[in-house]
Amino acid sequence: MENRKYINSILLHLVLIMGSIVMLVPFLWMVLTAFKTISESTQMNPFVMFPSEWRFDAFESVMTKMSFGRLYWNTLVLMLGRVFFAVITATLAGYAFGRLEFRGRNLMFSLVIFQMMVPVQIFIIPQYLIVSGLGMLNTSFALIFPGLVSAFGTFLLRQSYMSLPKELEEAARLDGCNIGQTFLYVMAPLTRSAMVALGIFTALFAFKDLMWPLVVNTEQSTIPLSAALAKIQGQFAANYPELMAASLLAVIPMIIIYLFFQKQFIQGIATSGGKL
Amino acid sequence: MAKQAKLKGTNRARSEFIWGWLFILPTMLGLFALNIIPIFQTIYQSFFKAGAFGRGNVFVGLDNYKRMFADESVWQALFNTFKYAVVEVPFSIAIALVLAVLLNRHMRGRSLYRTIYFLPMVAAPAAVAMVWRWLYNSEFGLLNHLLNTLGFDSVNWISNPNTTFVWIAVVGIWSVIGYNMVLFLAGLQEIPQDYYEAAMIDGASAVKQFFNITVPLISPMMFFVSVTRIIAAMQVFDVIYMMMDRNNPAFFKTQSLVYLFYRYSFVESDRGYGSAIVMLLLLVIMIITVIQIRMQKKWVNYN
Amino acid sequence: MKLKKIMAFVLTMIMVLSLAACSGDNGSEGSSTDSGTSNDSNDSSSSDSSSSDASASSNVELTIAIWDTNQEPGLTQIVNDFTEKTGVKAKIQVTPWDQYWTMLEAGATGGSLPDVFWMHSNEIARYSEYEMLLDLTDRIESSDVLDMSKFPQEIVEIYNWEGTKQYAIPKDIDTIALWYNKTMFDEVGLDYPDESWTWDTFRDTAEKLTKDDGSQYGFGLRPSNNQAGWYNAVYDMGGYIISDDKKSSGYDQPGTIEAIEFFASMSKDGLMPPYEVLAENEEHALFEAGKVAMITAGSWMLAELCNNEYVIENGDIAVLPKDADSNRRASIYNGLGWVAAENTDHPEEAWALIEYFGSEEAQQKQSDLGIVISAYEGTVENWTAAYPDFNLQAYLDMMDDLVIRPYSKTTVRWENMANDKMILAWTGDKTAEEVCLEIADEMNALLAEE
Repeated sequence: MENRKYINSILLHLVLIMGSIVMLVPFLWMVLTAFKTISESTQMNPFVMFPSEWRFDAFESVMTKMSFGRLYWNTLVLMLGRVFFAVITATLAGYAFGRLEFRGRNLMFSLVIFQMMVPVQIFIIPQYLIVSGLGMLNTSFALIFPGLVSAFGTFLLRQSYMSLPKELEEAARLDGCNIGQTFLYVMAPLTRSAMVALGIFTALFAFKDLMWPLVVNTEQSTIPLSAALAKIQGQFAANYPELMAASLLAVIPMIIIYLFFQKQFIQGIATSGGKL
Repeated sequence: MAKQAKLKGTNRARSEFIWGWLFILPTMLGLFALNIIPIFQTIYQSFFKAGAFGRGNVFVGLDNYKRMFADESVWQALFNTFKYAVVEVPFSIAIALVLAVLLNRHMRGRSLYRTIYFLPMVAAPAAVAMVWRWLYNSEFGLLNHLLNTLGFDSVNWISNPNTTFVWIAVVGIWSVIGYNMVLFLAGLQEIPQDYYEAAMIDGASAVKQFFNITVPLISPMMFFVSVTRIIAAMQVFDVIYMMMDRNNPAFFKTQSLVYLFYRYSFVESDRGYGSAIVMLLLLVIMIITVIQIRMQKKWVNYN
Repeated sequence: MKLKKIMAFVLTMIMVLSLAACSGDNGSEGSSTDSGTSNDSNDSSSSDSSSSDASASSNVELTIAIWDTNQEPGLTQIVNDFTEKTGVKAKIQVTPWDQYWTMLEAGATGGSLPDVFWMHSNEIARYSEYEMLLDLTDRIESSDVLDMSKFPQEIVEIYNWEGTKQYAIPKDIDTIALWYNKTMFDEVGLDYPDESWTWDTFRDTAEKLTKDDGSQYGFGLRPSNNQAGWYNAVYDMGGYIISDDKKSSGYDQPGTIEAIEFFASMSKDGLMPPYEVLAENEEHALFEAGKVAMITAGSWMLAELCNNEYVIENGDIAVLPKDADSNRRASIYNGLGWVAAENTDHPEEAWALIEYFGSEEAQQKQSDLGIVISAYEGTVENWTAAYPDFNLQAYLDMMDDLVIRPYSKTTVRWENMANDKMILAWTGDKTAEEVCLEIADEMNALLAEE
């Protein structure tokens, strides 16, 4: 019996490890290629896995051609901007939908649900026309724009508020709080985990957003990371070390953040889908 | 006494009304401006033909739709998108579920594994697609190198019109497994251990336990994941945009509907036609979602 | 636990270092609000001196848009000269070709185009028709610096709208030549390509340079590579792409079909890599990886090819082959133009910049720096010195027989259509004749709509 368990355990680990390798190979390859010369990267000899010399040429070249500092900044603005607006608007609305009763509430909420079901591409052209009409193409505002409100966030926060005990509001009222105060001092703090979850979720998807930044911020100075990567494919088409170096520089920040905040990430994603 | 209660009730109701609307105002305003009205605008736009540089919108009635119905590339793209979804969704769910079950117990390295499997989710699709494109390169890519060393012929991973969509879906699966896994892990944790203990006492094997306990009890989560993943898969754009171009022989049989939308709306500035395509996408997604909701009763277990 | 912490720390250090390196490189980042790419680390000294020379009156900074990142360093130097003279600053922004026109269109829709930008024969018609460009006609006439007769008339014509409005000043011309891998030729003991070569010699040689095991092919050409590829042979063999009056397609001409058949058969006979490989990798990538022995390339590819390690060691340039019967050795040529936006806030400064770009001085410098072949007559002598290891003279020799790159008001539409269909000829799914006739039909229909 003991042996059987042992063997099962080994098999299990074997399977998991093989899976892990599949998960990691692209990243490893990205790293290895980034340090090679162009000729080394197109070498057809499969045993040339490691670069003969760990050169930083590709990195240098890529960093001069694309100011990564600027790209990081734009991406950061994009992420934080959307998180800020999404959390604030969703928290307010989530509380109202979840705990207050007022006429028109259900109708409004069904609109929220509706938006969640619809493919986002429907919104892109009109949103684009609005932003360009305002003359705000190629600005941070443009990047944040679609994320000013979050239907999903509203939904999530509503769930969270609904799960809180009813007595809280009564208690607060007895203490003389009006609804606004009840919200601010009593209810909102209790939904912290949902807010964090929303924040993380929003930040992650803002980081990965490709079509919108591609369409709206076409200038080099205002473009965030993913769209910039899409563009350089045209520029450095066959220069694999440079392409990989750029990709690496693009994904590293998020990976670092993820490694530090793993628990929150996982918790956040789980919450966003879990409590249904 | 009753009068007082009624007064209190009206005041309360009034107060909730005011606060309620106040709180939802930012979101609803945003929703209207950014989402609801745009839906109508897109519908409206689909009846026009836009000129260059944002000028000269010409009303063309149903022309865009007529053109779309006759356009082979649109239907091919729709079919391509289906093909992609059919590969990506089931596999990513199945593999993620198995992973979640495997990692749901206390074991060494559990959090390390979870970290690793979630990692692809964190990388920007643009970067991910670039690496995979490189890995798949029929001439210089790692995968063919390995195949060749083992004595096999090279494979045209992303230039074979018939099979490319599979390998692109693999990239999609690779990216999203971690996400699905995390959701399933959360769902699994809701399942009381007692069920499993009882089953073990009855002598049920692990596989039997999986199909008779785990699957039914996690079916609500599976439903949520499959609905959202299908909607997302139908909107696939990033990987295709990054991994394919016009030169590629597999292009026609791989480009997705959203990719067509992007091309017509932003590259060829034919916004009217792009809008019509989006309408088609909306219709298809709605139909699929409704079907899924109907079928829910057949296989999803709500307790 | 510890391992992860260490990993995270290491990654953080890398990121911090890279950020520090970035801010070090971007000396100009802090100073200008609309900073684009900054390759000025070499030029920072000259821009500093120019800003101290700058007359206090001018705080104008123009935006310049281009699509070739290889030309940026050289053009920046010319811009700095301009700034020294006039005090007007200008910043170059590079957007890759694929996104360039989308970027402009987006800007135009939002009411903001760059002040000065590159124009191409594919798009001039659209921009002219919608009056997006500054009309330069009068300014050109009254300019003492510019001499339009010094530019190839065909290029000037591209940017002349309906005979009355001149929208652009020619910037450069480009020609096509043949690149070959000396080492591969030596291996088989073949003579290097020269003026005696005909397309037949070329094909025979390609055959000899193709190895059975598929590790090396004689030649590589994508169906979509028309200007630098099969267009040239079309004219050699007596065909044409579009009629002079731009009303009918030349794809049904026997000479055209012959040329397409020539290349398609090279693909079918295995003298070129399989189509999938061509689709996934650009010709120059295959050349740089030692996969093909010969390619054709336009003079705009010089910065890319001449700076590549492998090519420096193994490659060189020769003129294109000629046709055995007609003895013709044509090169397609095209020329970009500098234009200004109609609604620019600084029309005078933008004009001054364009005028400077078109002046003999700037054109001379453009050639000298090896950026491109300048359009201005007589400025090319030093161009060949830019990359002394290579036979750049071949590109100049090709100037003896120039054919303007085929264009019409809706070039992009029929070109894309033709390129898409051309793929079938390469893969052998249709014969060259079938493909050409189909293209001719559709192209004629599109031209009739113009």
